[in-house]
Amino acid sequence: MGDFKLTTIEEFEAATNRLLETGAKVGADAYQFRVKNQTPHCKFGEQGVCCRICSMGPCRITPKAPRGICGCDAHGIVGRNFLRFTAGGAATHSDHGREICHTLYCSSPDGNYKVKDPEKLIRIAHEWGVETEGKDIYDLAHEMAVLALGEYGKVFGFQNFLKRAPQHTQELWEKAEIQPRAIDREVSCAMHMTHMGCSSKPEALIRQSLRAGLADGWGGSMAGTEFSDVLFGTPKPVDTEANLGVMVEENVNIVVHGHDPSLSEMICEYADDPEMIAYAKEMGAKGITVSGVCCTSNEVAMRRGIPMAGNFLQQENVVLTGACEAIVVDVQCIFPALGPLAKCFHTKFVTTSPIAQMPESDYIRFSPENAGENAKAIVKMAIENFKNRKPELVHIPKMKQKATVGYSLEAIKKTLDGVTNSQVDETGTLKPLVECINSGVIRGAVAMVGCNNPKVRPDTAHIGLMKKLIENDIIVVASGCSAQAAARAGLMDKRAKDLCGAGLKRVCELADIPPVLHMGSCVDISRMMVLVADLAKDSGWNISQLPVVGCAPEWMSEKAVSIGNYVVATGLDTFLGVDPYAAGSSEVEDLLQGGIRDWVEACYTVETDIEKLVDKMIERIEEKRTALGI
Amino acid sequence: MMEEKNVTLFDVIFKGNDAVYGLTEKAIDDAIAQYGADKAVAFPDTAYSLPCYYGVTGTKVGNLGELKTALGVVKSLMTRNPRLNDAFMSGIATALCAEFIEVLKYVDNAAPYSEPCYGHLADAVIRELGVPLVTGDIPGVAVILGAAPTAEEGVALVKSYQAQGILVTLVGGIIDQCEELGYKTGANVRVIPLGKDVTAVIHVVSVAVRAALIFGNITPGDSAGLMKYTMERVPAFVNAFAPLDEVIVAAGAGAIALGFPVITNEETFRVPKSLIVQPDVSKFNATSLEARDIKIKITNIDIPVAFASAFEGEIIRRGDMQVEFDGSRVDCFELVHTKELSEVEDHKIEVIGPDIDEFEVGSKHSIGYIVEVAGKSMQSDFEPVFERKFHSYLNCVEGMMHTGQRDMIRIRISKDTFNAGFRVKHIGEVLYAKVKSEFAAVVDKCQVKVITDPEMCTKLRHELAIPMFDKRDERLTTLTDEGVDVYYSCIMCQAFSPSHVCVVTPERLGLCGAVSWLDAKATNELDPQGPCQVITKEKVIDERIGEYEDVNEAVRKFSQGALEDVSLYSIIEKPMTSCGCFECICGIEPLSNGVCIANREYAGMTPIGMTFSELASMTGGGVQTPGFMGHGKHFISSKKFMKAEGGIARIVWMPKDLKDQVAERLNESAKELYGIDNFTDMIADETVVTEDPEALLAFLTEKGHPALEMEPMM
Repeated sequence: MGDFKLTTIEEFEAATNRLLETGAKVGADAYQFRVKNQTPHCKFGEQGVCCRICSMGPCRITPKAPRGICGCDAHGIVGRNFLRFTAGGAATHSDHGREICHTLYCSSPDGNYKVKDPEKLIRIAHEWGVETEGKDIYDLAHEMAVLALGEYGKVFGFQNFLKRAPQHTQELWEKAEIQPRAIDREVSCAMHMTHMGCSSKPEALIRQSLRAGLADGWGGSMAGTEFSDVLFGTPKPVDTEANLGVMVEENVNIVVHGHDPSLSEMICEYADDPEMIAYAKEMGAKGITVSGVCCTSNEVAMRRGIPMAGNFLQQENVVLTGACEAIVVDVQCIFPALGPLAKCFHTKFVTTSPIAQMPESDYIRFSPENAGENAKAIVKMAIENFKNRKPELVHIPKMKQKATVGYSLEAIKKTLDGVTNSQVDETGTLKPLVECINSGVIRGAVAMVGCNNPKVRPDTAHIGLMKKLIENDIIVVASGCSAQAAARAGLMDKRAKDLCGAGLKRVCELADIPPVLHMGSCVDISRMMVLVADLAKDSGWNISQLPVVGCAPEWMSEKAVSIGNYVVATGLDTFLGVDPYAAGSSEVEDLLQGGIRDWVEACYTVETDIEKLVDKMIERIEEKRTALGI
Repeated sequence: MMEEKNVTLFDVIFKGNDAVYGLTEKAIDDAIAQYGADKAVAFPDTAYSLPCYYGVTGTKVGNLGELKTALGVVKSLMTRNPRLNDAFMSGIATALCAEFIEVLKYVDNAAPYSEPCYGHLADAVIRELGVPLVTGDIPGVAVILGAAPTAEEGVALVKSYQAQGILVTLVGGIIDQCEELGYKTGANVRVIPLGKDVTAVIHVVSVAVRAALIFGNITPGDSAGLMKYTMERVPAFVNAFAPLDEVIVAAGAGAIALGFPVITNEETFRVPKSLIVQPDVSKFNATSLEARDIKIKITNIDIPVAFASAFEGEIIRRGDMQVEFDGSRVDCFELVHTKELSEVEDHKIEVIGPDIDEFEVGSKHSIGYIVEVAGKSMQSDFEPVFERKFHSYLNCVEGMMHTGQRDMIRIRISKDTFNAGFRVKHIGEVLYAKVKSEFAAVVDKCQVKVITDPEMCTKLRHELAIPMFDKRDERLTTLTDEGVDVYYSCIMCQAFSPSHVCVVTPERLGLCGAVSWLDAKATNELDPQGPCQVITKEKVIDERIGEYEDVNEAVRKFSQGALEDVSLYSIIEKPMTSCGCFECICGIEPLSNGVCIANREYAGMTPIGMTFSELASMTGGGVQTPGFMGHGKHFISSKKFMKAEGGIARIVWMPKDLKDQVAERLNESAKELYGIDNFTDMIADETVVTEDPEALLAFLTEKGHPALEMEPMM
């Protein structure tokens, strides 16, 4: 094992505390303090029984006041809130996907955005029944972009990508009437259903929640993932590093944060420009380091090996290093706190999207047409800001770990090809993985996703769960902030194989993979859906029979609930470590944690005790194995 | 097994393990009832007790009582959680049980196995395998278990591996199938039938385990290190024929735990790169090689019979012989001759004289072959390096036997090979193809003349070959450690023995006996980034023991820091390490103030009180063991042989065979160094004394051996 050792939560926290000392010197605020100010949280909100959908209220349900003014009971209110929460998430992911489709429409051979994976474009075109023969790749790109944008408002029919699911899953969806129609329609429909005086029947509300979720996972998110791959390349295994120590004190540090790779890709492109590097040297730096926070970081790490500075709750820390020249953001999960915080340092806080506009930021509006010159201007701004650093405030925690990332479904299949035997096996399938699961060498798989949430000691759940899972020969696929937690701890270092049980360890050795596979950003959970769909096809089992479960132990955003809904609706039992504001209604809870199993063969388990959560997952996986007789 | 509902792979393994455990327990109990618990148990010719059990646990077993205790330890491995670790450990437990059952066969029976089966393989066999395994001459080890669907298919599979140079071990029905078709087996053709019971498979596992202990410096008891070593460095795989019972599956789990994939024609569970179902037996070979990532070096040689290292040890008896060329009776020679590029026509094979079909069956003739090479980087120093390889090249031809070198060669060609169409020109083809492929970096063009005309052979032997040999010998005598500017490192063995480094000097060849200074030099020229690197010798630390700062630096670098410093001429102070493939080992015999040397082939006892195997187990694996040193045979007559301790005058004992082999040169050196005539007469051997140091001392005193007068070594 040599000198390999995981970084512990305590080491993470010591580093954060040290940074907070810097913050104290300059009078900076931090989420840790705001959490204190906000606790205890509103109990009605936590239970999901507060309704402020119309102006007769707000109404809140108590034993003494069991109904709102309109007469809606707790079940209706909790159900409506749950659906609205979902709709928020579905809209967010899907709108991100729409931006990507739009960027694809703007791609051109000599423009800012090009088609980097034409093969994938052609493959999707064939799936969608589009003739590709003899077409210029950019003509095809534009045609596909229009079709993809059409998915958001299609007049009739269901989402194109649903056909990727196994027949059985498609039948379940049809029977449950949850096949998503136009993406925007499902969001609108959710808003409509939850309007004053519409649905208050939990069953109908939860059904639409699943449908809106599916519109995200098998619609908007999938478009986001697939067309990002077409534009920026389909990820393949690449070595990178993770944690704050990836920032380099002598260099100009640019941190990209958010979710949409259209921005971060351009920044990376220009930070690599010899002209810019020369300029940085002229300004007294040794070079330029781009690192990332949140999912835009996952995107560029997967495709370019750009190091990951941290996940969601690290975003303030990158500024607190005093060595961040610019934090450049696009959309989603960006703390408005960054504006005031940046002001305490020399850091430039640059917002770029009309979707995410914030006070106390430099707003440089990005569009496909001006992306190049704007990216260049931002890089330049960061370089020129280097001299404004306050050396006495600079402290970068030295911690970082190596990580191998970039496991798109295509890359996973390619990796598995490496363990096939050409004398007996076909390539390009997931069959080797099926064989490992069937024989018991690997017990199952867990899709670890989701955010950080101060309600859970940051990253403990992600890392703790993964450690126990891999010890038990359960392979982990991770995305989003969960993936970054794994990378920062060292679980994406191939040497982490030594922390696995004998079965997973052997698989890691033979396939040359880390035990936790980075599958991308939160939008890329759509990759996991296609993974389980193909796994079902290659094994002959239904998705719900696979010893595979989903888990979001530290989730916080609306997107996460939307994700949860499409993961469950796809047939995977999903385990949450944070309550989804549904405890106020036994009916909604019963549906989410049981009743929906009748529709989609899977449901939620909510368990805030992390130790119990992991045991329940392992138990569920073993139950599924027993049911299959394997 | 898939048909049986709800029976998992692990269930099958656990069941098979339980069954074998039960049998083992009964066998041990029965043996104790018969012989008593104090009855000794051991495998012959090994210093590693029950090698598998010793390797896994670090505990040696000496008698039946201890064997029973060991079985308790085995039981503790047999946990039953549904995890691969439990399945692996149960596989290992199954293997250990098999070892226990096998060792019981040796109680009161020195040779429980009879022709063609070998049973337990001696340590010496493993040490011999070391070099060919690292050089890739043996690219892999096949373990064939059970009976093929038909004898023809079984033999075809064995033959296919043999033709690739793969070492083949046989267990069970396949042995009968080979016998049925009269297929030749034996260690000399690298097809080793182990035994007919499935438990006999442990004898090849035992080889892998001992390889880890001997070459890998794995500490006995470090089971994780052991499994890592076998997985990464022992290129073995298993071919198990249907039907597979639970016991075979359990044993297979043990093989997979060690990193050896199992390929079977039984429809069962599949695990990538580990348990592979191949219904078509004719594809076992290709499937297995791919599963174990074994690459076969292909040299396409245009001859009518097979060419593979497996045939290197083949013996052609007089009755099977078509024709013989015998340098001890008539004029024969082999020669590499460097020419100008313009003088050589590439791939020209010229036969001068009559061909084999013109000779009477069983007759004796002259032969000479000259391999003329040309190349921009060719140096005449490489000539003997190429020439020395002819022995191995020609032996690799199926049905051809070659012994000796220079003008003292003997070649036999079998009737089968002749009948297959083999003629004199094919000798040229073999030499051409091998020289061109192996020395491509320095040989641009190559042509071969094969002469069978007796007069021409006589003329060329005396006028061309002998003068060239003399000239080379003259050059060799000037090749001393002092006379050259650089030495070479050799880490060819590091694939196997990761921390060992040889320092090769003109007067000290590599301990395996296969790499001389010239070989190392040629290897370095052929592949500058390869296993032999130039070591300068400018910064002397201690002339007496041969220690240099630059040599130490190189050794540190090439051993990845495992080794700090070495001397070239001492066996007491910082002696050079051994990988484990040494031809000989010498060790101090305190009473006589000298050293005893044992060669690998010698199986008996030495006056040190240890056999070769036991001596060898003291060193190897790249560890320095003062007082013991592995070395090549040729080093014995070197003037640098333990020079720091007084040189060859310290040699007091060696086996007779070895003495005979080195006598001429050793006597020459002794004469030159000390003015002693017939020094070897003063050296004892097993005909005079085997293990009694007092008797040795008496012999030496009687002969007036110089060691008795020398300063105490320690």
